Amino acid sequence: MIQLRLKSECDRGLAPFVTRIAEGEPQCEEDATLTLSEAGGLSYRTGLATFRLRDVAPAEIAGDVLLIDPRRQIAHRLIRAASPHNTFLITEQCDQLCLMCSQPPKPQHQDMFAHFLAAARLAPPGAQIGLSGGEPLLHKDALFAFIDAVFASRDDLSFHILTNGQYFERDDLAWLRKHRTRLLWGVPIYSDDPATHDEIVGKSGAFAQLAPNLALLGLAGAALELRTVVLAQNALCLPRLADFITRHLPFAATWAIMQMERIGYGRMNWTRCFFDSSIDFASLGAAIDLMRARRQGVTLYNFPLCTVPRAYRDLAARSISDWKQKYLPACRACSLRASCAGFFEWYREEDGFMEIRPQ
Amino acid sequence: MQVWPLRFRDLDDRRTILSDDSGAYFLAKSEFVGRYARDALSPSDERFLLEKGHAFERAGDLAHTGFLARWSRRQYIGGGSAYIILIPTLRCDLKCSYCQVSRAPLASQGFDWDAETLQKVLGFLDDLPVEEIQIEFQGGEPFLRLDLLEAVAAFARRRFRRVRFVVCSNLQTLNEGILAFLDSEDVLISTSLDGPHQVHTRNRTGDTALTEVFLSNLKQVIGRIGPGRISALPTIDIEEPPNPEDLIAAYEAFGFTSLYLRPVNYQGFARKSHPEARTSAAWNDYYRGFIEALIARNARTGRVMEEFYMAHCLRRILAPGMDSHTDLRNPNIPSGANAVIDFDGQIYPSDEARMLARIRQVDLAIGNVSDGLDQEKLTLLAPGHINNFDPDCIHCPYQPFCGTDPIDDLSRSGRIDVPRHESWFCQRHLAVFDLAMELLYRTDPEVEFSLSRWLGLESIPEALRPVAP
Ligand code: SF4
Ligand code: SF4
Repeated sequence: MIQLRLKSECDRGLAPFVTRIAEGEPQCEEDATLTLSEAGGLSYRTGLATFRLRDVAPAEIAGDVLLIDPRRQIAHRLIRAASPHNTFLITEQCDQLCLMCSQPPKPQHQDMFAHFLAAARLAPPGAQIGLSGGEPLLHKDALFAFIDAVFASRDDLSFHILTNGQYFERDDLAWLRKHRTRLLWGVPIYSDDPATHDEIVGKSGAFAQLAPNLALLGLAGAALELRTVVLAQNALCLPRLADFITRHLPFAATWAIMQMERIGYGRMNWTRCFFDSSIDFASLGAAIDLMRARRQGVTLYNFPLCTVPRAYRDLAARSISDWKQKYLPACRACSLRASCAGFFEWYREEDGFMEIRPQ
Repeated sequence: MQVWPLRFRDLDDRRTILSDDSGAYFLAKSEFVGRYARDALSPSDERFLLEKGHAFERAGDLAHTGFLARWSRRQYIGGGSAYIILIPTLRCDLKCSYCQVSRAPLASQGFDWDAETLQKVLGFLDDLPVEEIQIEFQGGEPFLRLDLLEAVAAFARRRFRRVRFVVCSNLQTLNEGILAFLDSEDVLISTSLDGPHQVHTRNRTGDTALTEVFLSNLKQVIGRIGPGRISALPTIDIEEPPNPEDLIAAYEAFGFTSLYLRPVNYQGFARKSHPEARTSAAWNDYYRGFIEALIARNARTGRVMEEFYMAHCLRRILAPGMDSHTDLRNPNIPSGANAVIDFDGQIYPSDEARMLARIRQVDLAIGNVSDGLDQEKLTLLAPGHINNFDPDCIHCPYQPFCGTDPIDDLSRSGRIDVPRHESWFCQRHLAVFDLAMELLYRTDPEVEFSLSRWLGLESIPEALRPVAP
């Protein structure tokens, strides 16, 4: 597992600050250059401060953007330059309580936008950064202002924003249109049946709010990725949902069908919710066939390749972020491993897929 | 609740097919049509229409927005890529029975591009506002002027980001130069195989020995470049059509998995001696019989042969954006990015338009490589290439999938405003789409076997067969 936090030492009196591990000559005063490398750690100097990092090699963090927290003596790797999976956690608050939530909401909010803005400005060229939560749009005004500010100085960046879609308004149309080519909205929809969707997200009236807001995204010409976690609660209705999507959400660029992540509420509700698609792919297959017939994009996230029938394997993405991905001992002998999503770090074989078959 | 306008057509005496402007279709009993026409829809009718996106509550709601998106994707607006047909020579070494006007004798003069025309053709290509192009070489026999093909190919590979060449060749003569040209991955071959030996000889070569040469050349080319880059199509003489089983077997023998049935299209004088070509009933009967035979055969053998046009029409029914076939698009406005350049540098909107000029019926040239495009002519031709407002098509459930062919109407009737249903284009497409719908709704494992393979699906999802309550 890749470390997202590093042990760090610096003057405890400093306020938290954002820095980038320079590759070559420093480009700005936030860029940190290595001044000393010894067994006990690496010493860096920026234009404004000095700090040390422990248990890491310089090459591993080259180009990374770090948030140094002097009080806790920690460096958060906000952007790992070598990884396509960088996400800013906007807030841990949320108005929904999804059955399989991997990141259960917390009541308090810590505003990090100033650090995120500083970090985004230091991101590698052309980077796509994820914005997630909780529900980022609970802080919509600050979020939109943050995005405007980033694009004002970096028009090469783009964001992939995960939102439950509850907070769009008609007045957002112009803003959504303005940024349509550089924002990809990932919005969950669990069922075409409002009651089932509401039950899964733990909020009554959620679907009734979601539907018109998705229409707004459509009218704005926004890039939309629909996301559906397969659960015991919705698996058999996926063909109906596919029909709904192709008819009412044809403007969605893609539909991501996802397997569950066994952490957070996902762990708590695992036995109640996990749908073993390795032994029953029929409803998934029918849903995919419909999407294919109507030529709308569909992707499978978090599905180990051998659990997917051959005809659909080309849809399975290597979606699990590098820092939380693993393989099983059985995978060692498998020829598909290089293209397989594998498993979440917290996956357990004893209550997981029945059919894991090295190919 | 507001229902988007529905058009309908009886599939048989029990069932009616309905569709809206976005191409969303469903099947209903005639009682439903009665209720719809009388504005007396039942609550369950209304639920069905709303759920399937044929109706909406308020402008801007999800059903409304989804419909707008589906509708807009049904319209072909072009752009991005060009499809140009080039005729570097009209000369040919064969004399097929159905080809009188589009060829010149092998030894004749003045039927090839000269050096100046070649340069102007390259200039025309250079000016196209696209980065992607497909260039089709037709003739005559294009390989008689391999030098011109090579010149165009070398230029296009430099000029365009993506390029593909299709050479429509009779494959009657091969040599080292031709084979070397074929070795490039961006070169595709389209040839004619009219069926079993006797049929091919009767229609095309007129000589058994020549047919032998062709068959062995075809085999050699497939062996060299593989079956993936070569396609063949049979031209069907409807007065003496081949037995479907024999035709399919002839294609299977070469490892082809797709064929595209095309009726002989007699031109000018020849049309008078082949009156059958004017009536489509015979063709439609043969076509239906062929598709049924093909489906039965696929189920029997477990192999999958596709008839391209049926598969393509099915794909167009099911999804928007299936606009790769230049003959079936809507709107299909003539433009420089979709044109035919003749041996003399004249530019036409389609091959058929070129024929009409050749037989001096009407000059439909939209310019030439020296003076460029004739915008006035293009403007004049544009309205005929949209079916959305045609007084007949607006009542037809197949309008969103169908196209137009005013040039064919002109060629057959001397005018473009014939009532749709009297035109060959419409009669043929009504039959194809009727059959496609019938097959889609036929829950017969034999049919499903072929349809799912043609569509690249594991099985046919039930949702593709909506039925009103
Ligand atoms: S055996 Fe492991 S590596 Fe192979 S496909 Fe299955 S999960 Fe992936
Ligand atoms: S041409 Fe005929 S089949 Fe095509 S849309 Fe018009 S009426 Fe229908």
